[in-house]
Amino acid sequence: MLTQLPTKTWLPRLSFAPVNTAPRGDTLVVVFLRGAADVLNMVVPHGEDAYYQLRPSLGIARPDDSKTKKEERTVDLDGFFGFHPNLSPLLEAWQSEQLAIIHACGAPDESRSHFKAMELMERGVDDERGPASGWIGRHLATLNTGNTSPLRAVGMGTRPQRSLSGTVPVSALRSIADFHLGGDQRALQQMRAALSTVYQNDLMGQETLSIMDTLEKLDPAKYQPFGGLRTASPITYPDSEFGLALKQTAMLIKAEVGLEVSAIDLGGWDTHFAQGSSTGLMPNLMKDLAEGLAAFHADMADHQNQLTTVTMSEFGRRASENGSLGTDHGHGSMMMVLGGNVDGGKVHGQWPGLEEGQLIGPGDLAVTTDYRDVLSEVLTQTPE
Amino acid sequence: MTLSRRDFLKLASLVSASAALSSCAPVYRRIAGDLPTLPWAALGAGDFLALNRLTFGPRVEERVRFSEIGLQNYIEEQLDFESINDFDCDLQLMPFKTIRMDANEIEGVSNQLFDGYDRERAPQELRQATLLRQMYSKRQLYEVMTEFWSDHFNIFMDKEKEFFLKSVDDREVIRKHALGNFRDLVWASAHSPAMLVYLDNQANEQSHPNENYARELMELHTLGVDGGYSQQDVMELARCLTGWKVKEHFWLGEFTFDKNLHDTGTKNVLGLSIQPSGVEEAEQVIEMLVKHPSTARFISTKLARRFLADDPPQEIIEKAAQTFLATKGDIKSVLRVILLDGLPLAQPKYKRPANFVLSALRMLNVETDAAALHDYLVRMGQVAFNWPTPDGYPDRSEPWQGNLMPRWQFAFALIRNEINDTKHNLQSLLDVASNGILQDDVDSITSLLLGTPLERVTRDGLIDTVRAAGSTEEETLQVITASIIASPAFQWR
Repeated sequence: MLTQLPTKTWLPRLSFAPVNTAPRGDTLVVVFLRGAADVLNMVVPHGEDAYYQLRPSLGIARPDDSKTKKEERTVDLDGFFGFHPNLSPLLEAWQSEQLAIIHACGAPDESRSHFKAMELMERGVDDERGPASGWIGRHLATLNTGNTSPLRAVGMGTRPQRSLSGTVPVSALRSIADFHLGGDQRALQQMRAALSTVYQNDLMGQETLSIMDTLEKLDPAKYQPFGGLRTASPITYPDSEFGLALKQTAMLIKAEVGLEVSAIDLGGWDTHFAQGSSTGLMPNLMKDLAEGLAAFHADMADHQNQLTTVTMSEFGRRASENGSLGTDHGHGSMMMVLGGNVDGGKVHGQWPGLEEGQLIGPGDLAVTTDYRDVLSEVLTQTPE
Repeated sequence: MTLSRRDFLKLASLVSASAALSSCAPVYRRIAGDLPTLPWAALGAGDFLALNRLTFGPRVEERVRFSEIGLQNYIEEQLDFESINDFDCDLQLMPFKTIRMDANEIEGVSNQLFDGYDRERAPQELRQATLLRQMYSKRQLYEVMTEFWSDHFNIFMDKEKEFFLKSVDDREVIRKHALGNFRDLVWASAHSPAMLVYLDNQANEQSHPNENYARELMELHTLGVDGGYSQQDVMELARCLTGWKVKEHFWLGEFTFDKNLHDTGTKNVLGLSIQPSGVEEAEQVIEMLVKHPSTARFISTKLARRFLADDPPQEIIEKAAQTFLATKGDIKSVLRVILLDGLPLAQPKYKRPANFVLSALRMLNVETDAAALHDYLVRMGQVAFNWPTPDGYPDRSEPWQGNLMPRWQFAFALIRNEINDTKHNLQSLLDVASNGILQDDVDSITSLLLGTPLERVTRDGLIDTVRAAGSTEEETLQVITASIIASPAFQWR
């Protein structure tokens, strides 16, 4: 089970999943930034001198740094923290108080191993002795929504995420457009008949057949964000796997097929080498992330009271840059929570600081909030 | 009835001839005497499982050989891979020139001058060659081990210069030592330009160390994450590895040690004090790591997981680890323990995508040039040298379950002969034994794919269902064959 802790005042109304509302129930979208995202360059503590001492080359300039081009400076959020310029697409959600940031959060594990940290985090446990199932899988198993949809929990991509594993069957979905057997009506009928027979005692196969039936009714080619209605600015999902995963999540929610959890990965954050400050490897990832989430948020504007999106990463990176214009494995990370019931427009959590004596281990951001405290609030709070 | 090897050879030539001459069946009858129900013996469940672990899915001739000489001799024959003539497979690899080139040459042929680099050619050739070897090589255990080490020392071919470096690593590190000695394998990998670039050691310099390779060398390649090293050990080993680089201009893509970038201080890794000695410092650590009991245990566990079960029996791991230490990392000796002692205790493993695809093709004697398999493997989620993180494709069953649709698509496309340059000929496969009775043909096919025929009632139920959906007799056999490939039973090995 997730650690149950007293409700923190900093996230008072994160809502998710009132009972028995399926299929038009609430949906949780979990975005995992794989590879340990360098969160200090995402939500930048521009009020800390130490940040600029630790990152002479990689640091993102202060919002008022007149020596730097404006588009390369931090975008101020609250006078102390600011967005990397490539996260600007998220400003709108921030300003409308539907985006909360929890800084310096993470797991107790200090192995600094991607694979151990990801595994423990997806299981939601302190060490190997904990349950083998995933935190989302366990949550779904205890949640009596009366929802029997085969699309209750979907892992976008070719493999369902570890966090989803448990007693509720889970499917991977790479592309709605590709999810069909092909062939003419007669061939299809034969295939269906044969598959139903060989899979009559196999839950996963039955799920796949019924997903096939459900998705048959959707036409991704004709999908228009926000019902094709005019919005202040046009809604465009990035042309990336991440953009497609979010767009498909939106399609499934609107089609009311009973989607409760969508797990999405965005990889490539293990930036030991030449990560880039205002442009390059990591800024490109941030662009994909922010444009994707912003498009999804705008597309789902009518569904915000039923929707919560969480981003997480296995750990953060070293506070000081390394010699190869990158950063090595660190500790404290950052989470974003996006949705209609979020206490947004704030950076939550206690900031541990970047001064010597405040950093831990080889020079890493400390963890002041356990990531599970954030997740348990997202899962357990119901609207007043 | 079991066919002798000589009978089988006659049979094999008939199988290939019978596509054109369907009247060969009576000839077969004359040669073989009694007509067997099946031209291939049904295998016991244990034998079929063993063959499924030793190969990418047994071909008819592999089943016959196994029945003839038994498990122990079969393993010995496969371990002594260099004495297996693989000429036919080698011939198929001729068109892929880059797999035989050094890095400098690959860089040269990939360089299109004004149009930049062709970053696709060498990876595409290596991927296709890999599939063809897994498909056609008679050295199946060697190919299985090559895949295992390619995961263990994973390199992502899309990263930076890997498009001209990985093919060399594949040949000179992985394939060279796949059934050799583990120490030599780690040694070669540590000096491999592809690995140094992939894990950023290229950027590991005295003034600013980069920990990436040092950490994975201990965490993923030798000791394992709980093998007893600390963050301090990672940082110290990274210092030892400063200056291990790849040449960037002359002799491009070759290993070099740049002493000007090396940290000349004293280091301490895992309690061993290391005196300044340049390139030898990290080499000293490598020698220590490969002899470490944690390494013996970690490698034995991973091998047992590949061949036996997701959670392999402790006593097998123990015995394999002891053998690893006693033989100083002799891979064949460790494999003997795992296979001979372990196979009787093996548990079902879910086929990874490449294994799934190849087993269907090999068992049904399909001809393919492997090029069109790529798109199916993309959708299933396993393209060789395309896993971005250094842990390699997952080996456990669970991550691969829950993505059935592309497997079903493959099964039906294969049987409809819709995959480019990939052709089956079920009829010729069956002609030698077929008496024209659908039930018997279905038994033959399921025996090939699942080891033994389906139970009669299951088989007849399946036939009725497919017929009821409006299939002709020929379609019925095809749809049933495809649905056996798509079935839950065929997803496990």
